[in-house]
Amino acid sequence: MEQVVNGILVVNTETIPGRVITEAMGVVSGSTVRAKNVGKDIFAGLKNIVGGELTQYTELLQESRNEAVGRMVADAISIGATAVVNVRFATSAITSGAAELFAYGTAVKYE
Amino acid sequence: MKTTIVNFRYFCLFSILTFFLFSINVAAQSDTGDERSFPIVVVFLLPFIVLALFGIIWAIVYPLMFLWGAVSSSKNVERMHEDANRRKMSLRHRRGREILNTIDGGYRRNASSVGLVHANGVFGPSHWHLMIGFFNNLIGGSVTVFQQVISAGRAEVMQRLRDQAEAEGWDEVINVRIDTANMTPQSSNSKNSVRGVEIFAYGTGIKYE
Repeated sequence: MEQVVNGILVVNTETIPGRVITEAMGVVSGSTVRAKNVGKDIFAGLKNIVGGELTQYTELLQESRNEAVGRMVADAISIGATAVVNVRFATSAITSGAAELFAYGTAVKYE
Repeated sequence: MKTTIVNFRYFCLFSILTFFLFSINVAAQSDTGDERSFPIVVVFLLPFIVLALFGIIWAIVYPLMFLWGAVSSSKNVERMHEDANRRKMSLRHRRGREILNTIDGGYRRNASSVGLVHANGVFGPSHWHLMIGFFNNLIGGSVTVFQQVISAGRAEVMQRLRDQAEAEGWDEVINVRIDTANMTPQSSNSKNSVRGVEIFAYGTGIKYE
């Protein structure tokens, strides 16, 4: 079970269920821009003709999102927080094949 | 992809034409007795010939894949939707209730541990669907083919979130949010861009005491 990422509690609710927030420490964020290699891009292009799920891009976005969350958590650790609440995600495709993943939330201390 | 295939055809034609022109030139030169220029010309033309071969293969493979998509894509989308629904109902039957909630604070007892759960998937319409969508656009009204692809994808991603929550041992997922992001921006200049929509679902997993 993955309750904590590097010792930091990450939730997307406004409060932490079962715990009391003592101090809000401001916004923390993390982002990545990732692209897949040309071979997988070509394969995704071929898969696109037939339709259905593009597994290469699913994996790409999953990996990049984990990295964005990791960076957000590193940001929270650097200011001495113990949890990040109200986490939101934003995605924007810069070109086809490269995507920017952005994760942000409020760093807090809890009891 | 449609523009790519047209480009490839022109390129193929162009390469064959240049090849013939050079051959005529070489033939004319070899009549005069200059035989050394022939291998140099072949080396110069080799990349063009290889690209032309790729163009010819693509011109054969693309229509076959397009037809395959026309035959199978709608069926595959329906199958994906039905499969997701079946897994959803079996999980609901096993757990006795739906485990995803969109409300913040939908839990009734004290939570012992909490954490982020997320799942995603990228789904694209086939080129056959794109063609039907283009004709639907001319007539107007609802474009059912795209709606089917996206709703099937969303059902699949929701089910992945449930599976993920169950695999990580959460009793319930609260405050579930679903995002949809276009993978092909309007501003992109690339002509052979992949058409797809990313569906991303996330929420807070709760384990009760």
